[in-house]
Amino acid sequence: MVRHRADYLYVAPAILVMGLVIAYPVWFTFYLSVFSTPPNLALEDKIFVGLDNYGRILGADSVREASLNTLVWTVASTGFAFVLGFGAALALNRPFRGRGLLRGTLLVPYVISAVAAAYVWRWLLHSDLGVISALAMASGLRSTPFNFLDNTDTVLASLIMVNVWKEFPFVMIMMLAGLQTVPDQLLRAAQVDGAGPWQRFWHITVPHLGNVSLVTILLLLAANFNGFTIPWVMTGGGPAGASEIWITQIYQLAFGRIRFGLASAYSVILFAVMMTMGYFYVRALVGKDRPS
Amino acid sequence: MRRGFWPVAGWVYLGLLAVFSLLPMAWMLITSIKTQFAAIQFPPEWIPSHPTLDAYAELLSPSREIGRVFLRYLLNSLWVSTATTVLGVIVAVPAAYAFSRFRFPGRNLLFYAVLLRNMFPAVVFLMPLFIMMRWLGLVNTQFSLILTYLTFGLPLSIWLLKGFFDNIPIQLEQAARIDGASRFQAFLLVVMPLSSPGIIATAIYSFIQAWNEYVYALTFLNDDAKLTLPVGLQHFFTEYATNWPGLMAASFIMSVPVVAMFLVLQKYFVRALTDGAVKS
Amino acid sequence: MAEVRLENVRKGYGEALAVDDLSLTIADGEFVALVGPSGCGKTTTLNMIAGLLELDGGEISIDGRRVNDLDPKDRDIAMVFQNYALYPNKSVRKNLAFPLQMRGMARGEIARRVDEAARMLDIGHLLERRPRELSGGQQQRVALGRALVREPKVFLMDEPLSNLDAKLRVQMRSELKRFHQDLKATIVYVTHDQLEAMTMADRMAVMHGGKLQQYDTPERVYAHPANAFVASFVGSPAMNLIPARLTETGIAGDGWQLALPPALLARARQAGSAGVLLGVRHGAIGLLPAATPGAVEARVLTVEPTGDITFLNLRLGESALVASAAPDRHFTPGQPLWLEFDMARLHLFDAASELAL
Repeated sequence: MVRHRADYLYVAPAILVMGLVIAYPVWFTFYLSVFSTPPNLALEDKIFVGLDNYGRILGADSVREASLNTLVWTVASTGFAFVLGFGAALALNRPFRGRGLLRGTLLVPYVISAVAAAYVWRWLLHSDLGVISALAMASGLRSTPFNFLDNTDTVLASLIMVNVWKEFPFVMIMMLAGLQTVPDQLLRAAQVDGAGPWQRFWHITVPHLGNVSLVTILLLLAANFNGFTIPWVMTGGGPAGASEIWITQIYQLAFGRIRFGLASAYSVILFAVMMTMGYFYVRALVGKDRPS
Repeated sequence: MRRGFWPVAGWVYLGLLAVFSLLPMAWMLITSIKTQFAAIQFPPEWIPSHPTLDAYAELLSPSREIGRVFLRYLLNSLWVSTATTVLGVIVAVPAAYAFSRFRFPGRNLLFYAVLLRNMFPAVVFLMPLFIMMRWLGLVNTQFSLILTYLTFGLPLSIWLLKGFFDNIPIQLEQAARIDGASRFQAFLLVVMPLSSPGIIATAIYSFIQAWNEYVYALTFLNDDAKLTLPVGLQHFFTEYATNWPGLMAASFIMSVPVVAMFLVLQKYFVRALTDGAVKS
Repeated sequence: MAEVRLENVRKGYGEALAVDDLSLTIADGEFVALVGPSGCGKTTTLNMIAGLLELDGGEISIDGRRVNDLDPKDRDIAMVFQNYALYPNKSVRKNLAFPLQMRGMARGEIARRVDEAARMLDIGHLLERRPRELSGGQQQRVALGRALVREPKVFLMDEPLSNLDAKLRVQMRSELKRFHQDLKATIVYVTHDQLEAMTMADRMAVMHGGKLQQYDTPERVYAHPANAFVASFVGSPAMNLIPARLTETGIAGDGWQLALPPALLARARQAGSAGVLLGVRHGAIGLLPAATPGAVEARVLTVEPTGDITFLNLRLGESALVASAAPDRHFTPGQPLWLEFDMARLHLFDAASELAL
């Protein structure tokens, strides 16, 4: 007979690989964060500096500016993507011809690689040659091209738009799946009871979507908080740091300036914020298994 | 549905969203069939007056400098993605099966750890992994990427496959065991054939993830000849000018297979992505 | 064919025991039904006999051999599942052949046995189809066929009829019975439906809360239930159980009293029961239109004609009970009736222990 001990054998390879590549790095990041590391990465020459790295990160003006950007980038991307995607899910949540095709079309931004998307948008938003500017001018909305990405006032908003473009399909399919769990009988019962479409939506559909929405929003917040490719490829944090967020700063600190100790401290801070979100994510996932 | 304000509003909304979704793709395609000269006109030619496949021909001809580089990146990407996928399936299938079938102590804890992986910021892992890879002598090898993709892909692969295994009634395996199969035979002869669509979908999903990945490839590889496609695209930016038609054609070639695979297997992926969130 | 013996079998899930100290012997060639409400431990018991679950205590032997540590494949058993568990990607023929292939049987012999089973179950024309192309009844037969081809020592059946519609269920019931008569096979049959157990089994084991309540022939279980649970579970409509107290001459409830035969009364006295439950089946109640000595007065609540027989819901004091009458008699809700009990078919249970007195 197969005992429990043997059951672990099935999981062991996965645990082993993940332990090596996940648990060890987490520990190592914490470890490095209290050292000053030499720029040639000769780690035997590192110097213990206690919590100095944390102090330097938290005290830096550039970090403060990036924090505001990070907040705006994370919250705005999540908010717009959610609204846009939820709307699409509602509009798609009824049978009609070509529904599958339309859903597929709307999924394209989500599937395409972030790098390709970033390059294409960079081209669309090009200050001299961009097709968005050209469209605006051709339709008489404007007489001169937009400076989407070379202007400190508009660069972050432009990046957020691209990010929303990339992410709204994710919300769409999550919410669409959520909508399909709303019991038809309940909706019909409400209709018989005299509830109009808006009341049915508000009193039956919305309460049913609570958990899906929560999980979707948390996943989006995490993904955006860690979003790297779009800002890095499109602007690299520029111009003049106007689109700099935590992640791009950490990357620049680690692999541009080779300051691993400092970058590790920065990572730990980011990690702490992430884990707080992760806590709520798991709670949201576990919570719905229990009758409330 | 009766005709009224909401259905019409829905159509208008979906139409606008479809334009928003496809505009970048459309402009990518249009730019890719222009000459470099035509591409940098402003206002642009909406429909190319002299469409040409030169950009594609150049990318795909091994005799041209740009083609040689591009084809190498393409092969590198193929190799890394395929290796990741194959190894991933080998590791994920037994694990997912265990998560689906066995009630061992610590099973839940383990699974939430797996879910938490969704929250781990990739950039946080870059430094320790980079140091680890250096220490293992793997920096600037594609194996470092395969190992990393494998790990970061596993949680979702396991989750996905678990969903497929969950849908196979346990009575089938019990029947097989009573019919004379060992536990392993029951898995091999009954469960595997039934879950092959799921395994294929999972495999393709991890392929797409590996194919699109950028950050680790950017960091772990520095030898030009070893780059994968996403990082290799930077090749089109030179100090003097950007080869927009070439870049767009390369982006297009890179995107077509994944978009096609995704759309064909849409049903499975949608289920996979949403299962955990909506199912209790 | 073989005898199956369970001795002090125990299976615990956490704190509650799913199966609690179960001892049961199923004789060679016997058809035994494990019956009880859901969660009573009957399926757990079956799975332990099959080897799909490990025992936490006790011993199971098949044909005199201890099988506790044997894999299902080595126990020489066959099983029919509630959802049939047909391999969806295999044709009917391959489904039937699978258990034989697993045992490395020669191809010619496999073909011969598959054809024989198909003929016996009248599914020869379905052999090339996939399970999902079959109706529920056909899937049922294939599942039975897959168990049959192996010629195992014991057949285990887990609610094999419960996914069929009512009409087909009745038909399959008699087919299963014929199947047992023809094969003289040892069958352990799990069901929550007491009627299935009554109609098919040689003996039925009534289980409740993981414990065996009574193990006997259907006739005896029906006529002499060992306790109040068995009394209320077996038979439809359920036996009436009316709370009462012992008096000098018999028993009394609120607003009624009934004289009992001295023998029955003596037994109740001997047990020292404070309160009792009077058990009486609907058929043992005579309905009189006027007051008669020895009869107790009740009132009609509702009348339910079924065609062959008319059921009446009555109120006796504070208790409700069901009686029956011939369909040509007429009753009106609210009307009083006098009940005459068939003393030979009365049961008394101790109110505290619920055991038969």
